[in-house]
Order: sequence, then structure tokens, then C-alpha cells
Amino acid sequence: MNLQPVVLFLLILVPVMYAGLTTVYGLSFFGDYPRLARIKTPALLVTVTLHCVYLIVRTFAFDHPPITSVFEIMTVLAASIAIGYTYIELRTRASATGFFILFLAFAFQTASSVFIRPRFDIPEYLHSIVLGFHVSAALLGYTAISLSAAYGFLYLMLYHEIKSSRFGLIYNRLPNLEMLETMSHKAEVFGFVALGVAIVIGVIWLPRVFHDFSYWDPKLVGTLVIWCLYALALGAKKRLGWQGRKTMIITLVAFCFVFLSMTVINLSLSGFHSFH
Amino acid sequence: MNLHSIGISHHTAALEVRERMWLSDDEIKATLPRLKEQQHLAECVLVSTCNRTELYGVAGGDAVDEAALKRFLIDAKGANSSVSADHFVAAHAGGAIAHLFRVAAGVESMVIGDVQILGQIKEGFNLAKESGTMGPVMNRLMQSTLHVGKRVRTETSICEGAVSVSYAAVELASKIYADLAKKSVLLIGAGETGELTLRHLVGRGIGQVKVANRTRERAEALVAAMGGTVIDYEEIVDALRSVDIVVTSVTSPSYIVQPEEVQKVMRQRSNNPLFIIDIGLPRNVNPAAGRIENVFLYDIDALSTIVDRNLDRRRGEIPKVTRIIREELISFFRWQNALEVGPTIQEFRESLEAIRSQEVMRNVNRFKPEDRELLELVTRRIVNKILHGPTTVLKQGTESHGYSAEVLNRVKALRELFGISRNGEGGHEKGGHED
Repeated sequence: MNLQPVVLFLLILVPVMYAGLTTVYGLSFFGDYPRLARIKTPALLVTVTLHCVYLIVRTFAFDHPPITSVFEIMTVLAASIAIGYTYIELRTRASATGFFILFLAFAFQTASSVFIRPRFDIPEYLHSIVLGFHVSAALLGYTAISLSAAYGFLYLMLYHEIKSSRFGLIYNRLPNLEMLETMSHKAEVFGFVALGVAIVIGVIWLPRVFHDFSYWDPKLVGTLVIWCLYALALGAKKRLGWQGRKTMIITLVAFCFVFLSMTVINLSLSGFHSFH
Repeated sequence: MNLHSIGISHHTAALEVRERMWLSDDEIKATLPRLKEQQHLAECVLVSTCNRTELYGVAGGDAVDEAALKRFLIDAKGANSSVSADHFVAAHAGGAIAHLFRVAAGVESMVIGDVQILGQIKEGFNLAKESGTMGPVMNRLMQSTLHVGKRVRTETSICEGAVSVSYAAVELASKIYADLAKKSVLLIGAGETGELTLRHLVGRGIGQVKVANRTRERAEALVAAMGGTVIDYEEIVDALRSVDIVVTSVTSPSYIVQPEEVQKVMRQRSNNPLFIIDIGLPRNVNPAAGRIENVFLYDIDALSTIVDRNLDRRRGEIPKVTRIIREELISFFRWQNALEVGPTIQEFRESLEAIRSQEVMRNVNRFKPEDRELLELVTRRIVNKILHGPTTVLKQGTESHGYSAEVLNRVKALRELFGISRNGEGGHEKGGHED
């Protein structure tokens, strides 16, 4: 059965769904639309389900999981962010942060849908189970870090609003500072551990598979720098008792490096890690 | 429907007048049966709060003497010397219902969006139930009123946001901390607003309370009432190390907490957020302390900003509330129309049937025996055809747009044109006197 037309259809539909979803969340955050607020969660569930269907159909259509190029990884990352957020929304019943987080998923998915190209010449090592663990751990790590950054960003906005006694929309709609900080911190710890696992697996497994393996590979160096930054942030929190604004700023700086790693390093600097 | 309301409220009378008209539950229970009997009301309900005393009644006869009702209430309270009929406002039919809906929605309250009023109205209806002065109209009115109150609270934000300085402080605390049960508060000075803020925090389940006051006895009295511990006034800066929220309201010519002290304390408390509510006049905490990271310092002006903003937001919700009230009014009128239309159609049918059967009986001998069955059939058909048009128009009126005035006018016209009286006997009699 030829699944490629279905893949193409979903390739277009999924970012459109995210655009609609982000708009719905945005309108109900910035405006006052009770009817839209009621359809938010069902729309989220439909979009996430469609995204999962897209990933499954794509895997069967091209006979490999979508982890062989940066844009394939981006769509998985968008799905992980959306799934992670869905879990948080269903668990906490707080949907005010949805717009900011789903916007990330929308951005990653749009970039993926625009630039993704099908691959048929998949090297044997890309079918490895160890690679599956390596990529899954890295994706989980990046997803958690993205969520941590989103919550960190919201924390800083609310902190600024409260400190300056402005008490506007952000103050009205967002959950409290402590909750945002806890969410960001938990996601950060999870991301740090998952990324650590990805690095360890990578460092042990990669030299065995790639003859041109180098410890100076840009992606490896980039990820290590990111990991060290998070280690620094978490250490400062633990050892120096840093709390609130300062740690949120570090989290956001670290996320800028993540973004840089995902884009500039992946697209401009080639190494054994690029799989192209 | 002959529904009337008369009432006195903060819009029409000062507190000293309103308090003279306030009725306790026992007074309401004693007054309602007398009102029903002496003022010829079929059903009546009294609602009395500190801001309003209002009577809603359905007339037993055709008209209600509003002036007499006002006099009755004033006499019942023996308030002739301080309350006059001019302090009351009256409304009837849709106006009275709309007024009750607005009161239930909190739009008419002194503090817009007041959440207590709905409970007070419910209590008024319950007292009427106990007094035996409720009836079908009031029962339906109660359901509709409570429904309005519920919808307004779930579909609009008119009740949201703190509208007092003390509650604004608590609202702000819950924007900083996730769980107040795990937090502690230090109250410095036992002034009225400080005490009220503490009371709200205790109401929200604050974990631990410490009170410091220049007069230790006053602090001990407060702790005895609300729980917690008393600390010496001289220890307040030390206490900042371990508490999360500080409420300070002492009268002091100079600042009692300086930024350097807060800076030092923040290091000692591992930079844990510290929320300081300074409601002292002059201010108790040097405002420069508010610039320290993770220190959230607010004075009475900042808290008043929250209150003003919340009040503005509540006012902005009034159009939505008005829409809900309009919808519920239409629903109430639809029910009322059905109440009027159903019996009218029935009585109209009975009236025409009476004319038909009387005329058939009177003239039946003029027909051959074999034609009498046909006579019955034909006259019945004629009556049914006459009935069909008006019946359809009336039913459509209630089912489609529910616009009460139009439907009620049609009902009224039909009753007048065909002489159908309220008890449904007019048509029959009129028919009987023809030719």
C-alpha cells in the first residue's frame, strides 16, 4: 500500500492544526472567549493524536523511524513537547501556559514540514536499537529542556509584572511563581538526566560505529556545553541556594544554546553526526 | 401575571434608614403570612440584607396597591419616624423580575459582584416556603433566579478578583506561592487592616502564624483568637529569616525594617521569596527593600491598584451579565406564556364546544333522525376549523421567539373578543345567551 500521499497530507495538516491550536490557546489567553476555552483541550488531543498518526504512518511509509535527519527529529521533538504539555494540562488542569508551549511545538513542526525530505538510503547503523535509546534519550532531554525554558520564560514575565506592580494580563492568567519555578526546575532536572544518558550512550556507542568519530564533533561539543550549562545551573541552585529569577535566566541562556545546537550546528557544521 | 416588587436599598436610602427596615428571619416568617392575608397577595417573598429589604409578591386579585404595601412594611417595622414611602422603589411584571435577576447577579450590590447576595436571596425564598407563601410563580422565579446567579458566576468574571485591600494582599500572596498551607506569616502590629489580612490568610489555610506587637497582650489576644505564636517586638528582623509573608501595620515615625537588614536576611534564608505587605501609614519598610531580588514589597497604594483594576474588570463584565439576564427573562416569559396560553386554548375550545352543543341540542328536532349524526359531524368540523387558526398562532408564539408581550397581547385579545373569563366560564354563558 502506498502511504506517501497520506504522509504528504498529514505533513501539511499537522502544522496547520498546530497553527489553529496555538491561535485558540492564544485567543483564550489574551482575549475573553469562553467558547474557545471549552474547545481547547479537545483540540489539543485531536492535534496530538494526528501528530502521532503522522509519525507512525511516516515510519511505515519510509521504513525507518523519523530520526535520520534534523527535520525528522524536529517533528518528533514537536510531538514530544505537545505530548509533555498535554500530560501537564490534564494533570494540573491549568491551561494558561498552553499558548507559549504549543507555540514551540508549532515552530518546530512548521520548520520540519517545510524542510523535511524523504530518505530511502538509510545506513545500517540507523536501524540499531542502541541508536534508538540514544536518540530517545536525547529527544526526551531536549523536550524537557524546551518545557523548562518555556516555564522559565513565563516565570520571568510574571516576576517582572509582580515586581513592577503592573498586574496585567500575565498576572491574571498565569499560575503562581512557585508553580512555574517548580515546573521549570523539574523539567530541567529530567532534561539534564536524559541528556546525560544520551551523551553517555553516544560516547560509548558512536566510536564503535563511526570510523571517522571525533570528540570534536560540533554536535557532541555543543551538547556537552549545554549539559555543562545545565549542570552549572542546577549546581548553583543546590550549592549556592540560588532561586527564582537568576536560575531562570541561566535556564533561558542554556536553551539559547540548545536552539543554536539544533539549528546552526546541525545545518552549517557537518561532522559524522549529521547522517546526510 | 401580576408580579410586583417594592424595595429599599443602598441606592435609595442611607444606612440609618436601611437598618430600620432590616428584618430578621423570625420577623420575615411573621410578616409574610400577614402580608399575604392583609394585602391580598397570592404569593410573596421577602429578602432582607444589610443593603436591601425587598418584597416580591404576586397579586391575588387584579391590582396591587403599592403605596399600601410600602405603608405595611414601614408599619411592620414601626419605622414611620425615619422611613418614608419615597425611600422605596417599585417595579412590576418584567421590571420586577429583571430587578431580582440583577440583584442575584450582584450587579445591584454595593460592591459589584458580591458573592453573598445569592445565598441571601435563596434564604429569602426558603423562609417564604416555610411560611407557606410560595406558589407556582415564586417557585419558578426562585429556580430562574438561582440559575441566573449560577450562570453569572460560571460564565462571567464579575465575582473574580479581590475588591478589598486586605483580600488583595492574599490574592497577591497566592500569585507568588503555590500552597499557602506550607507557608508562614508574621504580623507586625495588630491594626485593623493587618488583622483583617491575617484573618483572610488564616481563612486560606496559611500554615503558621507569628504575631509581634508593641503591646504583647494585644498580640496574645489575637493569637488566642486565630492561633499561632507571639514573638517579641524586638525580634522581628530575626523572624524575617523564617517566615514567607510579612504583614506590617504599626504606627512609627521611621522605617522599622531597612534594606540592609532585608539583604542580610535574604542571604540567610537562601534567597527564598519574601512577600512583605506594608500597610502602615507612614510606611514601615524602607521602599528600597523592594528592589532586592526575590523580595516582593507592596504598600497600600499598590494593593489599591489591584482593587481598582479588579473593580474595573468586574464592571466590564456587566454587558455579559445583562445578556444572561435577558436570556433568562425570555425563558421565564416563555414559561409564563405557556402557563397563559395552554389554559386559554383549552377554555376557548370549551367555550366554542358549549355553543355548538347547545345550538345542536336546540335545533336537533328540525333534522331528520338519519341526518342528526351528520349534523354533529359538520358542526364539530366547523368549530375545529374556527379553532385551528388562533390555536396555531398562539402555540407558535410560545414555541418560537417567546416574546412575551406579543403573546400575552394575543391571549388578552382572544379572551376579550370571545368573552373568555379567567375561570373559563364566560364563553359558555355568553354562548348561552345568544339569540
